[in-house]
Amino acid sequence: MRQSRRLTLIAALIVVGFIGTIAWTYFSDRPQPLETPLYLARPVEETGAINRVTGIYLNYRLLDTLLEVLVFSVAILGIQHYLARSKAVRLPRLMESEVVRTAVSLLSPLAFLLSLFFVLFGHLSPGGGFASGVIAASGLLYVGIALGMKEAEQRLSPKRLGRVEKGVLLLLIAYVLFPVLLGRTPLTDLLPRGTPGHLLSGGSILIYNLLIASKVLIGAWIAIVSFAQHRGEL
Amino acid sequence: MAAVIAWILFGMGVLGLVLRRDLVIKLLALGLVNSSAILFLVSLGDRPGAVSPIEVPGLQAPLADPLPQALVLSAIVVNFAILALALVFVMILVERYHTTDSIRIEQEVEKEKDEEEEMPCR
Amino acid sequence: MTAQWILLGFLPIVAGIALLQSRRLSALIGMGLFSFLLAAAYLLMHAPDVAITEATIGAALVTAIYVLAIRRTGRLIVVADEVPGLMAREGDRITGLEYEILAGFAREIGLDLTVRFVPMRRIHWLLSHGEADLGAGGLISSAPPTGVRATPPHLETGLFSYSAAEVSDENEETAHPAHPDYEGYFVDLADHGRHQMLPSVVHSLDLARVLALSRRGIDLEGLTRRDGTFAYGFLVSENRQEIARDYANYLQRLRSSGRLDAMIRRYVV
Repeated sequence: MRQSRRLTLIAALIVVGFIGTIAWTYFSDRPQPLETPLYLARPVEETGAINRVTGIYLNYRLLDTLLEVLVFSVAILGIQHYLARSKAVRLPRLMESEVVRTAVSLLSPLAFLLSLFFVLFGHLSPGGGFASGVIAASGLLYVGIALGMKEAEQRLSPKRLGRVEKGVLLLLIAYVLFPVLLGRTPLTDLLPRGTPGHLLSGGSILIYNLLIASKVLIGAWIAIVSFAQHRGEL
Repeated sequence: MAAVIAWILFGMGVLGLVLRRDLVIKLLALGLVNSSAILFLVSLGDRPGAVSPIEVPGLQAPLADPLPQALVLSAIVVNFAILALALVFVMILVERYHTTDSIRIEQEVEKEKDEEEEMPCR
Repeated sequence: MTAQWILLGFLPIVAGIALLQSRRLSALIGMGLFSFLLAAAYLLMHAPDVAITEATIGAALVTAIYVLAIRRTGRLIVVADEVPGLMAREGDRITGLEYEILAGFAREIGLDLTVRFVPMRRIHWLLSHGEADLGAGGLISSAPPTGVRATPPHLETGLFSYSAAEVSDENEETAHPAHPDYEGYFVDLADHGRHQMLPSVVHSLDLARVLALSRRGIDLEGLTRRDGTFAYGFLVSENRQEIARDYANYLQRLRSSGRLDAMIRRYVV
């Protein structure tokens, strides 16, 4: 009883302190942003992407995104490693009901189509590699439910796909380091910008989106399979 | 307004994180704290009368600030990575102690420590 | 603009309801709903990229992974045959000795207890196919069939033999119209005779069921008490060895602290 009261007090202090600090800075005289900061001045000319958000995170701040991909990969590796150590409860696998399987097999092509749209048009409209990869992975999850998780697991074995995933990551790193060979700074975008608004515009953004999407797709699928294996059945 | 809501959500998240005993619900509260930070940052980029930061020829309206949005995209993916990895650790704990109650896990750990101390040193 | 305010106002309410749930699955679904509302709020705050990412990752992927994990750690599913005194419905509650033992055990290992009442002949199949964790309801499990293991016994009982022909041919017809409640028992027992599903209980009727039947005034002629000692236990699926181990420890503690005897006195004597 006393311990829980102490915990409540600590929690209240954290909340009040943190919110107080933030609110104070929020309502006091913030330095006003520049009238036109660098990234707002001529982003479309510089990045070639009419979606400014994509322009920022795949061009101006590409390094952030690369590290984010790295964090994602490390997390997936961690999931695989620690779940492989735990003793799996091998329950026999049972099928979902007919209704679920039919509905889900109708949904999966839609998921793949949406994923394709997001990855190809990531620099023109909202979307991008991460969302696209996760949508495709949920499409695979639908296939897994329709076929039975074990069947899907055998066809798309996480072990083999894991190698592809690492290959994609290496390819991404090699691609961003390639300009060094030409005497340029790493992360330089060498491709032409194209006409903003066209599919083939935005320099390397389309390539980055494709690589990130396949990376996230495989990573998310491995995570889903790992959790499903340690659950017995979906 | 959105900023105030974000602070309320932050407070609820911290309270849930500290006061709930179930580890899985603690993790969900951690996700709520993360979401509140994201909401706060997105609300900073929004301004009255702004439109989505996608260039449309001939449009004069001001665009929402794309920088916080781009930063926050990473935060969402990292949030997923943290929650999934933490969930694996919870599963390992459950396998060992057969409960997700944090206080009972602490008691079990204390008991184990005591037993180790009672063992004669070799 | 109004839509944005309303949506933002909903966020703390949904999050609060979600975090106050005692069941993990409810809390998880609540947080999934919260994530979707949050994605809609981002959309109204002119951040479509963030909205799509939040909807796919925050709402879909995180929820999917948690559901997968929770189904493993969340519940203790018990399949039981209904026996008055051991495990029986009273209105919308379940009472009985076995129920109380299992409820304490589920609390001990931090799982939600779910009891499903099934005919006795289904228990073995459900356990060996991983549909349930524990079988209960007056099971005498001295020689359990393959795929399941017996737990240590918790209550001694007696076993009565009867002639299968008599029950399935005569008693069934005469007893039914008068006692529709106990139709299940006789059909069930007759079934055992035909299909040999649970060899240890074929051609026999245990003490709790005999008492229940005689309390209903059913003619129990033709029953003879068998020699030997019999005891009630639970059946555990062979895949859930850790549950069997935990239960054995729990029963040991229950017995040595004298709480088991108190429970037995309360329900049986």
